[in-house]
Amino acid sequence: MNKDKSAPTPRHLLDFLGIALAVVIIGAYFLLPFVIQPERGPSTVAVLTESKNANELGLFKTGLEVVPLAALGMLLLGLWNVLAPGAARAISLLMALAGMLALVYYINFFRETALGPPNEWGEGTIIGSLGIAFWIMLGASVAAALQALIPRSVPAPRYRLAKLFGNQESVILFGLLLLMIVIGLANPRYLQERNISDNLAGNAYIAVAALGMTMVIVTGNIDISVGSLVGLLAVISGRLVVAGTPAPLAWLAPLVIGGGFGAMIGFLVAYLRIPSIVVTLGMLSIIKGILIIWAQGDRVRDMPADYFLSQMRPLGIPMPIIIMVVLTIGVALWMRYSATGRAFYALGGNVEAARLSGLSRRRLVMTVFILNGLFVGVASVMYSTQFNIIQATPPPALELSVITASVVGGVSILGGTGTAVGSTMATLLLNFIRSAMVFINVSPFWLKAVQGLLILVTVLADLLRRRRQRL
Amino acid sequence: MKKTFALTLILALLMALVSMPLSAQDRWDGADDLAVNPLACGMGDEMMEDSDEMMDEDADEDMGMMEYDGGQPAMMDDDMAGMDIVLVDVPKLVGIGYFAATTLGQQQAAEELGNVSVTTDAPTEANIDDQIQVIDAYITQGVDGILFAANDPVAIAPVLRKALESGIHVVGYDANSEPDAREWFVNQAEFNGIAKALVDSLADQMGEDAAFGIVTSTFTTPNQARWIAEMWAYASECYPDLTWLETLEAQEDAVLSFQQAQTLINKYGEDMDGIFAMTSVATPNSADAVQQADLCADVAVVGLATPNGMKPYVNNGCVRDVILWNPVDLGYAAVYVTRAVVDGEFMPGDSSVMAGRLGELMVVNGSEVLLGPPFVFTADNINDFDF
Amino acid sequence: MQSEPRNPTVVEKLRRHLISQEGVLFIIMLVSVLFLATRTDKFLTVDNLLQQGRFMTEVGLIAIPMTYIIITGGIDLSVGSILGLTAIVLGWSWQELGFPLELAIGAGILSGTLAGFVNGLFIVRVGVPPLIMTLATLALFRGLAEGISKARSARGYPEWFFELGQGEFLGIPTQLWLLIVAVVVFGIVLARTQLGRALYAIGNNETGARFSGLTVNRYLLLIYTFSGFMSGVAGYIFVSRVSTTRSDMGTGIELDVIAAVVLGGTSIFGGTGSVAGTMIGVVLIQLLKNGLALSGVTSDATIVVIGSVLIFAILVNNFIQTRRGGN
Repeated sequence: MNKDKSAPTPRHLLDFLGIALAVVIIGAYFLLPFVIQPERGPSTVAVLTESKNANELGLFKTGLEVVPLAALGMLLLGLWNVLAPGAARAISLLMALAGMLALVYYINFFRETALGPPNEWGEGTIIGSLGIAFWIMLGASVAAALQALIPRSVPAPRYRLAKLFGNQESVILFGLLLLMIVIGLANPRYLQERNISDNLAGNAYIAVAALGMTMVIVTGNIDISVGSLVGLLAVISGRLVVAGTPAPLAWLAPLVIGGGFGAMIGFLVAYLRIPSIVVTLGMLSIIKGILIIWAQGDRVRDMPADYFLSQMRPLGIPMPIIIMVVLTIGVALWMRYSATGRAFYALGGNVEAARLSGLSRRRLVMTVFILNGLFVGVASVMYSTQFNIIQATPPPALELSVITASVVGGVSILGGTGTAVGSTMATLLLNFIRSAMVFINVSPFWLKAVQGLLILVTVLADLLRRRRQRL
Repeated sequence: MKKTFALTLILALLMALVSMPLSAQDRWDGADDLAVNPLACGMGDEMMEDSDEMMDEDADEDMGMMEYDGGQPAMMDDDMAGMDIVLVDVPKLVGIGYFAATTLGQQQAAEELGNVSVTTDAPTEANIDDQIQVIDAYITQGVDGILFAANDPVAIAPVLRKALESGIHVVGYDANSEPDAREWFVNQAEFNGIAKALVDSLADQMGEDAAFGIVTSTFTTPNQARWIAEMWAYASECYPDLTWLETLEAQEDAVLSFQQAQTLINKYGEDMDGIFAMTSVATPNSADAVQQADLCADVAVVGLATPNGMKPYVNNGCVRDVILWNPVDLGYAAVYVTRAVVDGEFMPGDSSVMAGRLGELMVVNGSEVLLGPPFVFTADNINDFDF
Repeated sequence: MQSEPRNPTVVEKLRRHLISQEGVLFIIMLVSVLFLATRTDKFLTVDNLLQQGRFMTEVGLIAIPMTYIIITGGIDLSVGSILGLTAIVLGWSWQELGFPLELAIGAGILSGTLAGFVNGLFIVRVGVPPLIMTLATLALFRGLAEGISKARSARGYPEWFFELGQGEFLGIPTQLWLLIVAVVVFGIVLARTQLGRALYAIGNNETGARFSGLTVNRYLLLIYTFSGFMSGVAGYIFVSRVSTTRSDMGTGIELDVIAAVVLGGTSIFGGTGSVAGTMIGVVLIQLLKNGLALSGVTSDATIVVIGSVLIFAILVNNFIQTRRGGN
């Protein structure tokens, strides 16, 4: 695989060309509106502060001649470069897909302008389709730059970038981009900013719960009680704030109580040695029963205006997206670099090895369930602050969505593998699939079947990748 | 290499399977081969009057045509008239606002009557099998009467017949069973009346050429399917220019209802003028989706929901009309009907029954007691209700 | 290592261990039954107990293959969806395709078996972990049921069709006979045959089992197909009992089944468990549900009690087993 380790090859030159093209596109994205319409202020700042204004700025419309060409170049280059080995292939594929997404944007843009005045979907902001294409290109070109600059003498297994792209996250990312491209071509409105942002934000609370679940599964355990717990904590939080508790305290309470429940489950699992599936199956019924008896079907309403955390839009980005991204990055880094995080993997992968390395199994299991409780707490706040009404029943089958997200994201149920980024991206993919089916008019009777099939395809794609890696 | 090839082939086949149903773009109108009976056309303001008129006509016709088709309990040795009776109420599920309201009404009726005690017990999820088991346990335990709201009209019938055989009085409300499996069914409002109120409200708000989507619970839920079928019949007769876009399922799931409404908004953009929401979960959350998209003026949400769940949206003007019967009255009437049956004051063939503060309720369709026309909650009156 | 004498002692130990675990659970069951019987005189009657047998048949039937699967360290979450798919295929092929009802029943059970076979095939041939595969087919099979039925339900079956679900044979609910026969047969298969031993071996150490020459793949394929078949039979019984088909039938039954299996002492990590234990689990949960309802406890409180009993029973069992192991 690594025959051409040394000496610059034509492929390296192509990498540099790709970087140059990406720089052109990114430059156009941020700077063109600034250069051409100076009277309307710097676009980057506008984008980062108020998305509405960014829309009015007419980003990209001014750079129409340059950007699509560069995107096309990126696409062709990426496709050609796909034949390259290892990490370069993944990066190139990513670039090619991002280029395609950008192109789809322009195709749709012209299609719509030819038909009449452009709708709001034609705009691109940092969370619109074009924005996403650019962020991915940015990431890919940084990766490509690193790849070109890092000396190839580094032995293959320790070659970080190869690991970075040879995994389930990249498979899901490709799937996500492919889905956006295909559906975007079929129905332009799929790529409008509002739809993308709705799809990113809508399942953010599941993504956050899935972060905790990922950690739990990595250690070889499982938590089936999350659905009931989210329902209970949401009602607690809502009732607290209606009773006059300040909003920040009402946000905090579910975290504390969730952590408490987590500690209880952890205690039962770690110290009394009951399998986690038994404990959480029991807790699922117990918490649900408590919720129904306590709440009596009485929905929580009339929360004060400052309570609705999930409806806030700092910097023009919906709050759930921010929480999800921040927590995902935080957990990913923590699990990779902290001693406890790495111990989780050790615990799930090989209990004996973990014991030998001097880690207390019990303390680790306690820790992971308390952490999971905290994440469920965060998820329940995101859930309870999303609407003006909090239902007094647990969200139906939430635990299944959370577990599905985690395992599709590459978490092995036997423990030992799995990442936070993968589980979050899988949550997003599942939500994008759900709304994509509606956009391309899949018969409503077949929606569920197609969704199930696509979950299967994602899982199979991951297996395919693993096999090829093994070859 | 071979394996890779084989797997790619499998993937391709799967993709083919995925694309296959894409062509099948059938619009679901809830017409599960059900007979529909649309009311005469008319606008919202005259609705109450109109439907009263209609009802009289209907009632006359029905009287002539429909014989009593309910079942009868096995004869008991002792006459329970005026004695204390124990009733159990088994709604579809517990823990949701709607059935909390019917329970409240039953308690009010029990308190007024003084010689009735009612307990509510039902599964924690709307599951046909769990509901059957709950009812079966109460038959074994021995109660005087069972009130039910069926999760499935056919599935619940055997256990209700068993109750009748054991001499237990059986009265349904909200969701019917097969007629011969219960004595009476308290009908909150006729399907065609609800459908008319919903469609009229939308046509009034957004014009007779409006385009709309529907967010329902599931396609298999009997009440929702009937309403949508009636809406289809009424709309195609009275408002042929209404455009029927799409119906989406959202279970009884708050987040999913919100997301499905968002999907409709994003998919149809300016081409959509309204959303019908068919459950008391879907309606507030669809309204929330419209409100958070800043489209209160462009997309009208019309739906069935309890007032407490809709107050935030009606009070801030995002939703104009919420249509529902009064579930408290529904539960109240169900207890009064059962009491009257036990006392022998309400027999097959009777054309009306007295129900406490609700006055005289008419019998329709053979063995159904009609609560009245659907009620429209607006900003003027919604704050007067607390359920 | 001494490989010759090692095998019998492990098996013996295992057996002793199993018997005592079921014994403890049985005692817990007896105590609960006696307690409930003091609360209401309606509970401990032949009629009521037989009626509960009727209600628990579907869960009981599916719990048998689930025990097999969990013993091998796998899991099958798609059983509820397979039940729904079977019901829909049965009703649809009878009403829409005009099959004779006997053939429609066959078609329904066959489709359930096929669904289980698909699960097994992907798990064995492609190597998809069971949890992931059955999570995906949980959605897929339910979706197929919805798609095929187009939200219509099939009703109006002839009288003989209800015999299995609502009738009686020799004074005992018909389907209960089926459950009893299945429990005896498949209990013996697990405890006494080579297949049973192979399942335990796979659960204890799959790689080891593979290297020792067991046809692991064939066994796994067999039990997942068996799981589909039993879910199909349960689907047929369920339709016969409630006299209608709906695509949402059996939703959530997988958790009931898994709860019964783990309550019955089958380790979720594989390697231990028995059909007898599972059946005690099924019976205990059903009797608790019914007994509490009869003594005036409402369903919302009942699920709290059942959840607590689940945790408590495993806790007591753990405690006793470790003490026994210590002595």
